[in-house]
Amino acid sequence: MAHLLRISRYIDETNKKMGDFAGWLILAMAIVTFIVVILRYFFNLGWVWIQDSVSYMHGASFMLAAAYTLLNNEHVRVDILYQPLSEAKKAKVNIIGTSLLLFPFCFLIWFYGFEYVANSWAVFEGSKETGGLGGVYIVKSLVIIFPTLLFLQGVSEIIKAVEIIKKSGDLQTQTTKQVGPDV
Amino acid sequence: MFEAFPLLMFVLAIGILLLGYPVAFSLAGSALAFGGFAFSIGLFDISFFSALPARIYGIMGNQTLIAVPLFIFMGVMLERSKISEELLTTLGLLFGQIKGGIGVSIFLVGALLAASTGIVGATVVTMGLISLPVMLRYNYKPSFSAGIICASGTLGQIIPPSIILVLLGDVISSAYQQAQLNLGNFAPGSVSVGDLFLGALFPGFVLVGCYIIYILVASYFNPNLAPAIPAAEVEKAYSDGMFLRVLQVLIPPLLLIMGVLGSILAGMATPTEAASVGCIGAIILTKIKGQLKKEILKSVLDKVVQINAMVFIILIGSSMFSLVFRGLGGDEVIARYLQNLPGGVVAAFLLVMLVIFILGFFLDFFEITFVVVPIVGPILLMMGLDPIWLGIMIAMNLQTSFLTPPFGFALFYLRGVAPDHISTKEIYQGVIPFIAIQILVMGLLALFPEIVTWLPHYIYGS
Repeated sequence: MAHLLRISRYIDETNKKMGDFAGWLILAMAIVTFIVVILRYFFNLGWVWIQDSVSYMHGASFMLAAAYTLLNNEHVRVDILYQPLSEAKKAKVNIIGTSLLLFPFCFLIWFYGFEYVANSWAVFEGSKETGGLGGVYIVKSLVIIFPTLLFLQGVSEIIKAVEIIKKSGDLQTQTTKQVGPDV
Repeated sequence: MFEAFPLLMFVLAIGILLLGYPVAFSLAGSALAFGGFAFSIGLFDISFFSALPARIYGIMGNQTLIAVPLFIFMGVMLERSKISEELLTTLGLLFGQIKGGIGVSIFLVGALLAASTGIVGATVVTMGLISLPVMLRYNYKPSFSAGIICASGTLGQIIPPSIILVLLGDVISSAYQQAQLNLGNFAPGSVSVGDLFLGALFPGFVLVGCYIIYILVASYFNPNLAPAIPAAEVEKAYSDGMFLRVLQVLIPPLLLIMGVLGSILAGMATPTEAASVGCIGAIILTKIKGQLKKEILKSVLDKVVQINAMVFIILIGSSMFSLVFRGLGGDEVIARYLQNLPGGVVAAFLLVMLVIFILGFFLDFFEITFVVVPIVGPILLMMGLDPIWLGIMIAMNLQTSFLTPPFGFALFYLRGVAPDHISTKEIYQGVIPFIAIQILVMGLLALFPEIVTWLPHYIYGS
């Protein structure tokens, strides 16, 4: 279990970095868009590639941060029934959900996304508009990076959930019949 | 049997959602499972799935939705720099001299600032933490205070520039285009986010106005409901330079919001551009307050990243869901059903509103906007409803749903932050007058759709 927990920590750290990076992307988006506005209204200047860069940063910001958001448990849940559950039961819901709902979704995107991305790389797909930023194949790669990061985070969440269940089980055997092993 | 199949999928998805696993993945996972099952019995063409990567890439490249992270950034920045909080306490003191005055100031701040993140939970929690203690300290009745907070927390959704209206605008716009294509109009007109902002403006004013009138009248006739702040305290505040403080606290954020909103409404800036100006403005206000520290900026960005990812991953999960739902012919089943209802467009509209209202008990704004509106939107619009009006009615309907006991979202979140001596029953009692006001205003909009449609049509002349 110690090995697994170390893997989990490693995944968490990686996705934390992705989340931090996405944060700077959003700040950059705000600043660049502001510059675009200034250039347009005061100097009558504008370039398609700047617009493209904002669009790329926007796409990357949530594709890279989806797993980080899962790590922090910030994806909304319908918690009418979930909220009152004990930590151990919540952990079980998360194990079931991760393996039966999240993982198949990741595999599906990977399965179809791989060809989609490969096609783009094969021709080094550029911008559709003239004067665009290009590098569309790099941005499209996010379509498979996204499920990869999510899958890894799912693995980490399962490891942590198993640990929670084990701990609460230990607690239950130690303190026989005490109320609420709610750790 | 085949008719009921897509509806079965809907029921299954709601069942899975109730388990409590994150909504985005529950929608996607249940759609995948159902699609796989339908494929195995020959009802679903598996090649529908191959459209998924292009859809995801389409969401990444959607130009309208770039405004979403920027508006979230603006809202979180104003909140973390305590600008919202200071605004609330200062206005509270200013209006507090009349009975119910603190309540009025909460609605004004809610209408001004709560708009930007548009997430019911976040807004109710913030407003609850800041303003509930203030109201209780000045002996406001707990149920009355609870009602005010819940109502002001959901108010932000309908007042522009809320991200809810940005998202809804995007969805309604494609629904409108599809409706026109289906009707054989191959040069369809469009609806923009700006149209929806304009359409929401008067209904928003009417709603806030009704809320404020109710508070003032109720607290005038029932002195125990919301007493005025003791005169001694007010005097002390004034001798401390109250007037200057009001100006200092009120003017900058007011200018910011009016600048952002005004430039969109005047057609000078796209919502994205205006939002970026709002972000820079919020950063400058924070800087002036001396709050622009690295830790604060980092915590703001961290929060924004997660709200943003949450919204967009639901959009991806929902698009997976509707892919399968369409693949099973679900949209045709619903279209046929709605079009054949006795009572025509009115009955169809009322039924859709009822379904959305009930779904609002389980699902947040985003899921309903992304899953339900694309399915029913084109059908209702083909039956002749005005797209802007429909959008605003859906927004207000959901807002009402979030307030309604026992399942309303706003109530849950307030319960979470309210002290234990306020009973759940008191919270429920407190929101009832506001639900009545919601229904009243919705009825008003249904009778006089011009309240919504006049301004956008007048300004853009379509």
